[in-house]
Amino acid sequence: MRPGYVWAVIGKEARDLLSNRLLLGAVVFPALVFAAIPTGIVAFIEFNELDPDQLGQIEQYISQFPDLPAKLAAQGFIVMNFMAYFLLIPAMVPMAIATQSVVGEKNARSLEPQLATPMEVGELLLGKAIASATPAVLATWGVFALYGLVNGWVADPVLTRLIFNDVWRVAMLTLVPLICLLSVLLGIVVSSRVNDARTAQQIGGFIVIPVIGVAIAGFFSGQASFSMEQVLIGDLVVAALIGLTLAVGNWIFDREAILTRLG
Amino acid sequence: MIEAIGLAKQFRTLTAVHDLSFAVGDGEIFGLLGPNGAGKTTSIRMLAGLIAPSAGTARVNGLELGPQSQRIRALTGVLTESPGLHDRLTARQNLGYYGRLYGLRGGELRRAVDRYLGIVGLTPAADRRVGGFSKGMRQKVAIARALLHEPQVLYLDEPTSALDPSAAKGVRDFVATLRDAGRSIVVCTHNLDEAERLCDRIGIMRGTLLTVDTPARLRRRNGTATVRVELVGARRPTSFLDLLGRLAFVEGARAVDGALLVEVREPRGDNPELVRELVEAGARIVHVSEEAATLEQVYLDLVGEAGARDAGAGIGLDSDGEAG
Repeated sequence: MRPGYVWAVIGKEARDLLSNRLLLGAVVFPALVFAAIPTGIVAFIEFNELDPDQLGQIEQYISQFPDLPAKLAAQGFIVMNFMAYFLLIPAMVPMAIATQSVVGEKNARSLEPQLATPMEVGELLLGKAIASATPAVLATWGVFALYGLVNGWVADPVLTRLIFNDVWRVAMLTLVPLICLLSVLLGIVVSSRVNDARTAQQIGGFIVIPVIGVAIAGFFSGQASFSMEQVLIGDLVVAALIGLTLAVGNWIFDREAILTRLG
Repeated sequence: MIEAIGLAKQFRTLTAVHDLSFAVGDGEIFGLLGPNGAGKTTSIRMLAGLIAPSAGTARVNGLELGPQSQRIRALTGVLTESPGLHDRLTARQNLGYYGRLYGLRGGELRRAVDRYLGIVGLTPAADRRVGGFSKGMRQKVAIARALLHEPQVLYLDEPTSALDPSAAKGVRDFVATLRDAGRSIVVCTHNLDEAERLCDRIGIMRGTLLTVDTPARLRRRNGTATVRVELVGARRPTSFLDLLGRLAFVEGARAVDGALLVEVREPRGDNPELVRELVEAGARIVHVSEEAATLEQVYLDLVGEAGARDAGAGIGLDSDGEAG
């Protein structure tokens, strides 16, 4: 693997993405929406008096924060309960970029000239994968930081400390990039089998259902957040899935297959 | 220098190319002619180190296909059938990207991009996105891309398609200068006129090479020349056919539109004797000329014969013209 080629691909993909405002919007907008919903609820609680009966109904949830007053505990539960959505952004966004990238090349028939250079297929795919995953990772981290700071500012700095806890810092640094990479690889594999980006994203959407399922299960379970063990197990599972996808991708993406099927 | 030795390519049950052998010297332009699906693009892809042959091998500037394919790609320029540009990037950014992939950096890269943008006449449009370019402009960017790293070996698939006559001539002239600079060049084309004007030798292909020769010799591929003898007077041209049939140096003769078409092996030596015999037999000759077969006729004859043979053997062309 020669870094010069990978960087050349990343540079080209970055220029391509930056010139595509629609796709750029698709990276940032979902992340902001996911963060805005709980922040809005926190703000609503902050600026309204809660009925003691209502607080009683969510007693079992806010009891997860015994050291906090009831109102702040309710806000803490809300911000933590929505955190699982930060796993959806890396699952969905990079896939949109990756499928657009591969299907776009396929339609423009621009893979052959690239493969006619001394660059190896692995270098091309790695460059594409990094270029597709990086914006989603950065968007997730950026919105995560914003989420922690804004909620702390709207309600109480305690929320910032709750959000930036050890488990989620580890999740952001390990699970988010891994999910991004898995999503990109799945996007590339799916793109090899279809001719338009929309179909690729729809099929890819089915594939990321397990990740969405984990997030939704977390939401409805009443668990405020994941444990460190759950995050580390998630890392291992996603890493194993990446290995599996790479094996499939390696089989699908030899130079000849790209030229005869995608070229 | 390109040497193909028994190259073959099988796609599952389809034999796209078989038993392909030829050589292209330094400073030579070799034309590959053939119908869609004849295996031209597949041959170029094999020779450029893009796909592996199923059988046979090739050497490009002494490097062997397979183990040294990456080095072969570094010294090879390929103009693909479709320009395959990145539409959201400008012409300069497209070339800059490929320059980097071919190992150019910094000032060397900038100079190469500027030089080739100038050569293909796109300097004024250099910083416009290629998505808005006309077909001809896109083709010019693709040509510049293939030449950017000064390759020793060039494969040009339909280089002047989509270009207007003036731009096409410009490209042909430029390719000729590359030949003069010692490059080995293979041109795939359907344009017989272009092949005849540009190529030093031409290979006509249908799965394999049916024939290889210079354009002039291809036009005489049967080893004979047709001499047209225009007659006037009361005697009909058909009345001389018996005489012509008795002459040893005449390979065949027929009468067409008041003239005789006579097949001879060596027009320079045989024509004076032919004229003398006809005049002695009472012919009144007003004009004698050599009828050159067109390359198109030779091409159609060869491809047609091969097609009839393949049909008899139950072999079809590669239905995917792109792969072929």
